[in-house]
Amino acid sequence: MQPKPLALKILDIASIIALAVATYLALVFAPTEAVMGQVQRVFYFHIGTAWVGLLGFVIAAVAGIAYLITKDARWDRFEVAAVEVSTVFFFITIVLGSIWARPAWNTWWTWDPRLTTAAITELIYIAYFMLRKGIEDPEKRARFGAVYTLLGGISAPITFMVIRLFRTIHPIVIGSANANQEKMSMTGDMKVAFFFGLFAFTVIFIDLIWHRIRLGSLEEKVEQLKLKVSM
Amino acid sequence: MIEKPETLDNRPQTLDRPSSREAAHRPSFIKATLAIVQKDLSAEFRSFELISAMLVFSLLVIIIFNFALELDVKVRESVTSGVLWTTFAFAGTLGLNRSMSVEKDRGCMDGLLLAPVDRSVIYFGKAISNLIFMLIVEAIVLPVYSMLYNVNLFRLDLLGVILLGSIGYAAVGTLLSTMSAQTRTREVLLPILLFPVAMPVLLASVKACNGLLTGAEFSEVLTPLNLLIVYDVIFVAIAFMVFDFVVEE
Amino acid sequence: MLLDATPDTSGYMIAGYVFSFVVMGIYVFSMYLRNANLERDAETLESLQAEEAKKSSSPKKK
Repeated sequence: MQPKPLALKILDIASIIALAVATYLALVFAPTEAVMGQVQRVFYFHIGTAWVGLLGFVIAAVAGIAYLITKDARWDRFEVAAVEVSTVFFFITIVLGSIWARPAWNTWWTWDPRLTTAAITELIYIAYFMLRKGIEDPEKRARFGAVYTLLGGISAPITFMVIRLFRTIHPIVIGSANANQEKMSMTGDMKVAFFFGLFAFTVIFIDLIWHRIRLGSLEEKVEQLKLKVSM
Repeated sequence: MIEKPETLDNRPQTLDRPSSREAAHRPSFIKATLAIVQKDLSAEFRSFELISAMLVFSLLVIIIFNFALELDVKVRESVTSGVLWTTFAFAGTLGLNRSMSVEKDRGCMDGLLLAPVDRSVIYFGKAISNLIFMLIVEAIVLPVYSMLYNVNLFRLDLLGVILLGSIGYAAVGTLLSTMSAQTRTREVLLPILLFPVAMPVLLASVKACNGLLTGAEFSEVLTPLNLLIVYDVIFVAIAFMVFDFVVEE
Repeated sequence: MLLDATPDTSGYMIAGYVFSFVVMGIYVFSMYLRNANLERDAETLESLQAEEAKKSSSPKKK
């Protein structure tokens, strides 16, 4: 494996610092919300991970198209990295959403559009890994993976739009009037924590994807070595 | 006259113009597609393997729902749509799986791939056959359900929605079953791949059918219907563009 | 209807943050593990390759 480029080393440190600062801002700096109490603070990480999760899925679909057009394995590695990192962060999003929902709406789960679409989207990407796992030929794996990220990437937003039509207990934005009010009436300090959270998770996201791509290159190197040695 | 080798290309009754031999023998898109559909249908009508399996399965699922849900008269109307679509989704998976694995097992797929036609012809042919099988099963399940639960399902608008939903489901299902048939886990993988991606179809169809059955205003039915049509158009287009990448080399 | 006192939901908050850090930590650690395993595999395979190269260039040939 090639030695870590300097840029990546710097990014690693930047990510850790960003995460630390974001945590401080969310836990200490931001004021306590009046109606829900401390649990509202998970909102900052919830939004940060959600943003990163969705960004990654979009990137994966684009990378998939790029792979199908160019057949360059680097796009495939990029796609896998994007899906993997996004799946992890989106999982955090869903659980944080649930943790927030419990004291706020007295239920661990609601079938409102966002949560439901989130669950379905997460399942699409888990299915993606199951699909890849079932294929031995790396070229076919890349092709099929690319097609599936495209299908998934387009169907998920449509799912969201359809579910919005169903009657929900809660109004639309993040599913509750409370959250709606919070978003509109975020105080200045809250906004700082909010936007920095988005920034921090973006940095962490880029860092992890870079690492995952390097891991993918190493995987391919090992596979090729295996082929050579077994001949 | 030059001795031409005895190949299929030289059959005198089909060769009108000796010029551009290839063009004369390349069947039109529609003809080729219909040929595949005809092959599937005639194979199926000889044995009825697929349809009978899907049908029996559907009826069993409906019976299970009878016990799983308290389908008393009041609840029935609001739940019929969901029960029907769940049944169609599962039976559809059976049909999609079987249809594709039979191609592989009998080696038909290789033959189809060698034919001088656009790969997308294979996609459209298979998708239409799969759709027809689904529709046949639905055509039988609907009257049975009507009888068992005293719900009138013989409405043109309802049938229209079911048709649109089936089109979307078969379109995506055919593409995905082509992929899953080439994996290690095969049949098991298809529902896992299909259901999340076909969610919009199932959701919109259930919502629209529900609206129709409970006598909701037309606007409530129109929106899911529009989304359903949008989905159908988008995904048939995508499948058409992407099928080449998914069929074995 | 308005609550006079803000409810103490810090338990949930702590659960949320702990969960987030744990999951991120597990993911980073899994990447580290996978990396270490692959490096080891690469080393093993490379030494195997070197051995095979030695064998095939042994004085037996020609």
